[in-house]
Amino acid sequence: MVSVINSEWYKLRKSKVIFLLFVAPLIGLFIGLSGSFNAIGAMNEWYEKLVVMNSTYAILFLPLISGVLASVICRYEHQEGGWKQLLALPVTRGKVFLSKYLLLILLMLAMQLMYLVSIYLVGMIEGITDPFPMDIVWKSIFGGWVATLPLIALQLWVSIAFKSFAAPFAINVIFTLPTILVINSERFGPYYPWGQPFLMMNIGGSTEDVFFVPWDQILTVVGGSFLLFFIGGYLYFLKKAI
Amino acid sequence: MEYIVETKHLTKKFGKEEAVSNLEMKIPKGEIYGFLGPNGAGKTTTIRMLLGLMRPTSGSVQLFGKDMKNNRIDILKNIGSLVENPSYYPHLTAKENLEASRKILNVPKKRIDEVLQQVRLHGVANKKVKGFSLGMKQRLGIAAAMLHQPELLILDEPTNGLDPSGIIEMRQLIQSLPEEYGMTVLISSHLLSEIDQMATRVGVVSKGKMIFQDSIETMRKFAQASIQVKVNDNEAAWRSLLANGQKADLEKESVTLQAEDDGQVAASIRYLVQQGFSIYRVQEEKRSLENIFLEMTKEEQSG
Ligand SMILES: Nc1ncnc2c1ncn2[C@@H]1O[C@H](COP(=O)(O)OP(=O)(O)O)[C@@H](O)[C@H]1O
Ligand SMILES: [Mg+2]
Repeated sequence: MVSVINSEWYKLRKSKVIFLLFVAPLIGLFIGLSGSFNAIGAMNEWYEKLVVMNSTYAILFLPLISGVLASVICRYEHQEGGWKQLLALPVTRGKVFLSKYLLLILLMLAMQLMYLVSIYLVGMIEGITDPFPMDIVWKSIFGGWVATLPLIALQLWVSIAFKSFAAPFAINVIFTLPTILVINSERFGPYYPWGQPFLMMNIGGSTEDVFFVPWDQILTVVGGSFLLFFIGGYLYFLKKAI
Repeated sequence: MEYIVETKHLTKKFGKEEAVSNLEMKIPKGEIYGFLGPNGAGKTTTIRMLLGLMRPTSGSVQLFGKDMKNNRIDILKNIGSLVENPSYYPHLTAKENLEASRKILNVPKKRIDEVLQQVRLHGVANKKVKGFSLGMKQRLGIAAAMLHQPELLILDEPTNGLDPSGIIEMRQLIQSLPEEYGMTVLISSHLLSEIDQMATRVGVVSKGKMIFQDSIETMRKFAQASIQVKVNDNEAAWRSLLANGQKADLEKESVTLQAEDDGQVAASIRYLVQQGFSIYRVQEEKRSLENIFLEMTKEEQSG
């Protein structure tokens, strides 16, 4: 298992696409530096930055980049007969699927951490003197990551199924764009899987729970869609004729 | 006999079409098995099932005496393969391509240099495979297949796209494998000439069915020359030969002698002359293996 992940990481790190990971945190950085919204009038200057930076990052870039990475991690297998070479090696398909998935979520975690660095940098550059709200930021960083787990599973499934790069990307965009509207809906927002990264990173959410979103919502929406997408993709891959 | 590969009633349907039909492949240890058939005969489909890349519609695959269904990983540890077009990661160099497989196969790093040497790619080990010629990619594929010194090497049309000198090199490499490493090799091709020069056993497949499977010598026997004699009255000549105890076949416009040596040919001709037949022509017809292969696959197609 470790050797399969190793091999996946090896193939990925040799391609330049890995720099995609820096895109979203960098954009976050610029948004944080360019905007000066004092309208919120929050007690802590960090909160303003977080609200502004998190929304674009969580609504658009987190889901989009994770989807693109999922395609990338399958693309070199689709390109020149990689699947048949990989799957004729003594390795189960289950392990291959799991390895790709684990690598993806680790990369997304890395991206979240880089985003954390971005937030901190913005504060440093702008000379924010208020104490850094570590607990809130952590909730947001980690929660956003948890919320992308099901999205990554779906994107991996779709990326395995389609040889073309465009199809998974289109699906990704189609589900991601409506998020902007859906999250404003009291009724549908909590149930839309693509809205969860924003909701879980939104520091304005409920603060009683561990995350900014109630536990039952995490379990049903995030957990449920994760199981559906992960098991669906897994079974699809086990049966796929190469 | 101990078979490295044995399929039973192996069948694969795509929709209604049977791409592989009740195929019984038997490959003894240490042989170079030529899997021969025209394009679309079902060679690649068979090989995909041998490797567990695709499930058979019915029938079974046994490798090293183990059933593929339940021992896939164990079996694949001992197989190296190259299926259809060479597989590779374009963004990696030759060495890096092998390294990606090596990590999974868990063999020592020095194997990479060894196999690159074997297929004569050591000079371009650090070049991106993207820019390789088809022949180089093909050789890289073979190197990858040999990385873990498998007991069975499965090569699907490995000489496709190679230039003549590349084909010769490949042939020499493949021929050395059984002796040097005790490997068994399954090599598919649509060209008989290729199989003829390497294989020790042959399986001919056409429209998904195995229509011939035996040693290459047996196949060559079909190819022995025959003598055709054209006479003023072919049928009478044929009868008279048979009456005299000499073997012959009656064709449309000639009599074919089933002579085993020159003496027998001379005797038959002398006899015909003595009987007063006018002999117009005596000619030798060499049926090439190629012709035999064509006939075999033609019969199957018209039937
Ligand atoms: N995935 C597939 N779906 C449908 N038909 C297929 C598929 N793969 C192969 N075939 C058909 O099966 C037959 C055998 O193909 P193949 O095994 O590739 O032949 P060969 O390798 O001998 O040239 C062909 O008629 C081909 O069109
Ligand atoms: Mg083929």
